[in-house]
Amino acid sequence: MSRLYEAVYIFDSTLEDAAIQERIARHHALLHTTEEIKVDHWGRRQLAYKIGRRETGYYVLARFSCEAGVLPEFERGLKLDEGVVRYLITLHEHELGAPPMTEEELAAARRREEEDEDEE
Amino acid sequence: MRRARKACPFCEGRVHYVDYKDDRTLGRYITDHGKILPSRLSGVCARHQRQLAVAIKRARYLALVPYMRGHQGAA
Repeated sequence: MSRLYEAVYIFDSTLEDAAIQERIARHHALLHTTEEIKVDHWGRRQLAYKIGRRETGYYVLARFSCEAGVLPEFERGLKLDEGVVRYLITLHEHELGAPPMTEEELAAARRREEEDEDEE
Repeated sequence: MRRARKACPFCEGRVHYVDYKDDRTLGRYITDHGKILPSRLSGVCARHQRQLAVAIKRARYLALVPYMRGHQGAA
């Protein structure tokens, strides 16, 4: 049963873009997934704190669906690759912002709010 | 406990899930030392505050948000 995952990779910013693309393709090949993998390049960004001696990182966001059994192998490949400074793979089960809370939920929340205020 | 006067900004914006990648929004919910703002100050409802905490911890791991800010010794 394949599930939807979301991964953020931080690549060493000294690498050129082509090298990064090639590494991403190589890692994603390990996923053996038929569906298309959405890759979104954020590019070079200042890190909020120093990782090792690096101040900047090349961020890449990837969204894919694959079998759970494939992930350990996939992560092992990421760990072995020095170009990948850090990565975070999360289960993508919540769509961002959608579906928004339905009207009733919002109205109920507001009603609860009013009742609380009357208590004071 | 004083009831938060202002409604939860996430409920207002109809956000269903707090996104750990959105560091601009997350940045508003950490103190100038980088600590997570308590919900009694930020007025965030309990459900979104729990999601916010998880999102901030993930963002910190990805160096999108600092663990600590404005400390003398360079980390």
